[in-house]
Amino acid sequence: MSKSSQPQSHEAILLDVRSLTKRFPMVLANDQIDIIINEGEIHCLLGENGAGKSTLAESIFGYYQPDEGEIRFAGDIVEITSPSEALKLGIGMVHQHFVLVPTFSVIENVAMGLDSPGMLLNLDAVEKRLTELCQDYDVEIDLKARISDLSVGEQQWVEILKALYGGVKLLILDEPTAVLTPQESEKLFGVLKKMTSDGLAIIFITHKLKEVMEISDKVTVLRKGRLIDTVETKNVTKAVLAKMMVGREVVFHVEKEQIQKGEPILEVRDLWANNDRGQIALGGISFALYENEILGLAGVAGNGQKELIETIIGVRKATRGEILIGGEVITHDSPRETMEKGLGHIPDDRIREGLVTEFSVAQNLILGQQRERQFRKGYFLDKEQINRHAQSCVDSYEIMTPTLESRAKFLSGGNLQKLILAREFGMEPRVLLANQPTRGLDVGVIEYVWEQLLEKRRNGDAILLASEDLDEILNLADRVMVICQGRIMDVFDIQDVKIEEIGLLMAGIEDASC
Amino acid sequence: MLIPFLNIRIIRRQNETKLSQILPVLIALFAALLFSAFLVWLAGSDVKVAFTALWEGAFGNIRQITETLNKAAPLILTGLAAAIAFRAKIWNIGAEGQLLSGAIAAYWAITTFPNLPPVLMFIVILLSSFLAGALIGLLSGYLKTKFNVDVIISTVMFNYIITFLLSMLVDTVYRDPESYYKWSPKIPDVAQFPLLLEKYRLHAGIIVAIVAAFVIYLLIEKSPRGYEIQAIGHNPTASDFKGINNAKTILFVMFISGGVAGLAGGGELAGLIHRLRVDFSPGYGFTGIIVAMLAGLNPIWIPFTALLFGALLTGSLKMQIVAGIPVALVYAIQAIVLLFVITAEFFTLYEIRRD
Repeated sequence: MSKSSQPQSHEAILLDVRSLTKRFPMVLANDQIDIIINEGEIHCLLGENGAGKSTLAESIFGYYQPDEGEIRFAGDIVEITSPSEALKLGIGMVHQHFVLVPTFSVIENVAMGLDSPGMLLNLDAVEKRLTELCQDYDVEIDLKARISDLSVGEQQWVEILKALYGGVKLLILDEPTAVLTPQESEKLFGVLKKMTSDGLAIIFITHKLKEVMEISDKVTVLRKGRLIDTVETKNVTKAVLAKMMVGREVVFHVEKEQIQKGEPILEVRDLWANNDRGQIALGGISFALYENEILGLAGVAGNGQKELIETIIGVRKATRGEILIGGEVITHDSPRETMEKGLGHIPDDRIREGLVTEFSVAQNLILGQQRERQFRKGYFLDKEQINRHAQSCVDSYEIMTPTLESRAKFLSGGNLQKLILAREFGMEPRVLLANQPTRGLDVGVIEYVWEQLLEKRRNGDAILLASEDLDEILNLADRVMVICQGRIMDVFDIQDVKIEEIGLLMAGIEDASC
Repeated sequence: MLIPFLNIRIIRRQNETKLSQILPVLIALFAALLFSAFLVWLAGSDVKVAFTALWEGAFGNIRQITETLNKAAPLILTGLAAAIAFRAKIWNIGAEGQLLSGAIAAYWAITTFPNLPPVLMFIVILLSSFLAGALIGLLSGYLKTKFNVDVIISTVMFNYIITFLLSMLVDTVYRDPESYYKWSPKIPDVAQFPLLLEKYRLHAGIIVAIVAAFVIYLLIEKSPRGYEIQAIGHNPTASDFKGINNAKTILFVMFISGGVAGLAGGGELAGLIHRLRVDFSPGYGFTGIIVAMLAGLNPIWIPFTALLFGALLTGSLKMQIVAGIPVALVYAIQAIVLLFVITAEFFTLYEIRRD
C-alpha cells in the first residue's frame, strides 16, 4: 500500500513527523514513519501490540529520542528532548500506566505538574478551575479523594484533567479506553469531540476497530514498526482496517459449544465487604458458579467487581457472609490458602497487583509458586527448571521479551498481560476469577485467550469473567450477572439476554426503582 | 534530558548489562579516592605520604592485615544485616543496637554457664548473641506489622535504649570491682574465640562472618524465602495478591537481620574485646549500612566491601600518626565513598550520550 498523499492545504498542519526511526536493542520499533496531524482532528494510531504505536507516541512526547527523522510542530522544526519540553510546546500525553502520586488528592496531583510562580501552591484556585472543567465536560469525580482510592477508570480522568488543565494543543492518549467502561468511553468520546471543536488535535492510540470508526477523522495503521497507510476514516470499513492491521482476515467470533453445567463449585452467600475508604462496597452478594461454566460479571467499573474478586481470593476482609469452594468454607482464608484450594486470579491492574516488574520474566512466571516442589531443588530454587518453565510460557503465549532474564518492566503492556495469563492458566485453577483478562491485547491474542477460557470451561473448570467489554461477555459467558453499587441486579441465561436491559441494570435502573 | 553547553543527554537505560551495573561503582570508588586526596591536601598534608601510610597501616605487614581482617569481621555481619533488610525495603537502621544486645546476651550466657566445654561454649555464644539481636529486630518488626510503626524510628530508638542499657550494666551489675574503668570483668579463657595465627589477634570471628555471608547469600539469592523477601521489597501489593504474607516476611527479615547484627556483638566480645564496655563498638552498625550499599546489597560482595572499610579503619591509625591527619577525616572519607556510590547508582539506571 502506498503512503498517503491527501491534500492538506485547507487545514492547518500542527504536527509533521518525517521519516522517524527508532531502534531498540534487537528491535526496530519505528521504521521511517511519516505522519501528519492537523489542528482539530482526532487521529487514530492503529496497530497490534508491538506495532510501534506507543514508541512513536513516546518519541513525539520526548520520552524517547528518535534515531533518525525530524519533527515539525506548529511549523517549526523542533527537538523534543524531554516530556517537560513537550509540555512546554503544548503536547500532552496520557499513558497506559498512569503517573500519579497515589497518596495525593486529585487536586494535589494536578497542582504538582504546574509551574507555579512563587513558593506557595494555590490549591483553591486549582480546585476552582478543576471544578469548572469537570462541569464543562460532565465528569463526576471526587476532587479531594486520594488517587489510591480511585478506580483505574477514574484515575484516567485525573490524567486527562491534568492535560486539559495545562492547556495543550496536541493530546496523545495511549489506549485510553482500555480501562474504561462502555459508558465511560462514550463520555470520553464526547469530551474529546468537544475538545477538538476548540482546535485541539488528538492522537488516539488503540487497537479497537469499533472506536476508530466511531471517533476518528483519520487513521494511521502501523504493523511491526512500519507505516502501512494513513486513510480517512469515512473511506474505510472495519474489515479493511483489520486487514491492514494484522495482514490477514480476522475472525471475531468464537465457537462455543453447548455444555451441560456441572456441580456448583464456588458459592457466595450474602457477602458484605468494605472498600479502602471503609465504605460498603459489597452489599449482600449471593451467587453460585458451576463447573463447565463461564459466568459473566457485567458492570460499570467501580461498582464492586474488584472488591468482590479481592474478597473471594482473600486479600480483602469479608465483613459478613460466606464463601465456599467445593462446599468448604474459605471466607477467611489467606490468599495463599485460596490459591492452594484452586482459585486463580487475573487482576485488572496488572502492574500493581499482578507483577513484580523489577523481577525477570522468568521470576514473574513463578510468582506465587516459588515454594512449589517443581521449582525447587532441595531448599533452593531450581533455576534451570524455572527457565524451562519460562521458555515454554514465552513460546506458547508469544511473549515478546529480549531474554528470559530481562526485567518485566522492559516489556510492553500487552506482553505483561500475556505473562500474567501464562502464569495463571499454568497453575490450572479450578476456579478462575478474571478481571478484564483481554484488556489491552491485540485481536490475535484476544482470540487465543478466549479459546483458553473456553478450553477451561470444557475441562470442567469454572470462570468468573468480569469485563467491561460486553461483546466479550456475550461471546463467552453462559450466564450474565449484572452488578451495580455492590449489589447483584439480576442474572440471565445468555440466550435470554437483551443488551438494552443489561445496560439499564448496569446503570442501576431496575423497573424504575433505584 | 538535554544538558545545555555540554551537549550531552541523559537517557533512561533500555537494557542492563553486568558492565553497566559494576562500572559506575568502580568509577565512583576511584572518584571518592581522588576527592579524599583533595581533602587530605586541603588539610595541609602530603597526599602521597598519607595514602602510603593508609595502605601500609592496613596491609603493610601480617599484623596490620590481621587487624584489618578483625575489623572486617563485624562489618561483614552488620553489612549483611543491612543488606537483607534493605532488599525487602525494610529500613533497619538498628544494627548498632542489635549488635550491642548480642554482646550483652553473650556476656550473660558466658557468665551464667562458665563451665561449658569450649565447643559448646562457642555454640552458646553464637546462639545467644544471634537470638538477642534477632529478638530486638523482631520487636521492631512486630511494631511495624501490628501498629505500623516506622521501622527507621523504632530501630533508631532501640539503638539509644540498648546503648544506655549497656552503660547502666557496666556501671552496676556487670561492673568490674577490681578496675577503675567502667567495664565488666574479662570473660574466661574458655569463652574466648580461638586465634587463627599465633602471636596475632586474628580470631575465628572472620570465619563466622564469611560463613554467614555465604548462608545469607543462599537465603536471599537462591531460596524461595529470598524470592519472597525481594518480592515484598519491590511490590508488596502484588506479593499479597499472590499469597506472600507481607507481615510474616517482615518479621522473618527483621529476625534474621537483627540476629546477624547480634552475631557481630557476640564475635567482638568473644574474639577481641573480651569484656563489655561503654565504647564497645565504634559504630559498626552504621558503617555496615555503607558496606551493604557499596556491595549493591549483594551478600557475595559484602566481605570485599567490609574488607575495604576494615582497611580504612586500621590504616587510618597510621595515617593519623605519620601524616598528621585528623581522625574526623577518616569518617569523612567513609561518607564520601557512600555519597559517590549512591551517585553511581544513578548511572546504572541512566546513561549519558554525547549529542
